Amino acid sequence: MRARISPGLLAGYVPGHSWLHRAPLWTKFAGVLAAGAASFMLLDWRASALAVAAVVAAWLSAGLGVRRLVAPWRLIAPLLGVLFAFQWWQQGPAASGRIVLNLLLCFLAAALLTATVPLRELLDAVAGAARPFRRFGADPERFALAIAIMLRSIPVLAGSFAEVGDAARARGLERSVRARTIPVVLSAVAYARRTGDALAARGLGDADD
Amino acid sequence: MSRIELDGVRVAVAVEDPESGRTHSKVLLDGVGVDLTERRVAVLGANGSGKSTLLRLLNGLVLPSAGSVRVDGLDTAAEGRAVRGRVGFVFTDPLSQLVMPTGREDVELSLRRHHRSRADRAAAAQAVLDRFGLAALADQSVYELSGGERQLMALAAVLAVEPSVLVLDEPSTLLDLRNRELLRRTLAGLDQQVILSTHDLELALDAERVLVVDAGRIAFDGGPAEGVAFYRALCGIPAHDGGR
Repeated sequence: MRARISPGLLAGYVPGHSWLHRAPLWTKFAGVLAAGAASFMLLDWRASALAVAAVVAAWLSAGLGVRRLVAPWRLIAPLLGVLFAFQWWQQGPAASGRIVLNLLLCFLAAALLTATVPLRELLDAVAGAARPFRRFGADPERFALAIAIMLRSIPVLAGSFAEVGDAARARGLERSVRARTIPVVLSAVAYARRTGDALAARGLGDADD
Repeated sequence: MSRIELDGVRVAVAVEDPESGRTHSKVLLDGVGVDLTERRVAVLGANGSGKSTLLRLLNGLVLPSAGSVRVDGLDTAAEGRAVRGRVGFVFTDPLSQLVMPTGREDVELSLRRHHRSRADRAAAAQAVLDRFGLAALADQSVYELSGGERQLMALAAVLAVEPSVLVLDEPSTLLDLRNRELLRRTLAGLDQQVILSTHDLELALDAERVLVVDAGRIAFDGGPAEGVAFYRALCGIPAHDGGR
């Protein structure tokens, strides 16, 4: 099965010259790290909501557009909804709101990074950051390649979910969890194998000199 | 031209019977011994005949269970990395091998180990894109390109590192007539030794040598016209049947 591509769970690069596009790469990495740290440190849902609002404001002020901001919502909303309901049941509404908002904060911060930095610059930065680990036998290019594959796989897998959902509906099986999940798993495995073969054929997975 | 030698090659995989739980050996290729030195070689065969396995042997994607495969004297099992540096591989579906969001980035990805400096890499990628007339498409998402454009972009990304042999597994299967012709012209203009599998008999007729694979064995090895006629007979299609 050829996978349908679902646009931007993590936004792809959006060309532009905004203040965020021009900001040094390290500041954006620091922002993503800060969002990750904040998800542990923000203990009040109102603080989490403020942080999410700040990231949304940064997104809009960079001219990245509302459409790109809400495009992945259809994909992540069900997951966040389930998480919200479960956490509400476990810990109550305040904790549930905080957890979901903190997750959203991490997701939006990562999307802000990928939307304002071309992937090849991200790869250079990751490979550069991983260079000190070379003395321990790590290959910086493999780090970079892993990031590239991860970012590429997200829209492919999201597309696969949508395609399998359409196929299940066409057969009147929209309520069947099995019909909606097993083909996704099988196509994900097939996709991983094809990608692995392609990387191996290009020598991209080979150890560095 | 490179020299590719397959000597007494057998490829077998272990297959588990889901009912009994027992594993048995399934032979994909057996008794394959060929010496490929021609500029253009086409491999014909029905689906499941073993032609993709044969091609995958050539750059070490598949290793022989018995026998050996050598490219310019390099053993694919022992010197896989060196072999992959010489043998580029293009898959049927270019989306399987275009890793990056745009063609330019994908060509640059191929060049990462060859050019550490970003500026050198960008210049080398631009030269490759110009050579294939793809510069105008280089910054578009690979998902926005047509099938033929994608296939050419995948080809450019593979050829960026200047392999001496290019292996293509059914490169025209997903292409319409116009893009198939574009691919044919592009392949005809390459300096590399080209070995491809195909169901496109016109593409096979462009080759200097044709191998027909049937049930895991080389059933025919010879000239293109005879090879195509043999394949048609094997498929039970009369020679006078319209269209190739």
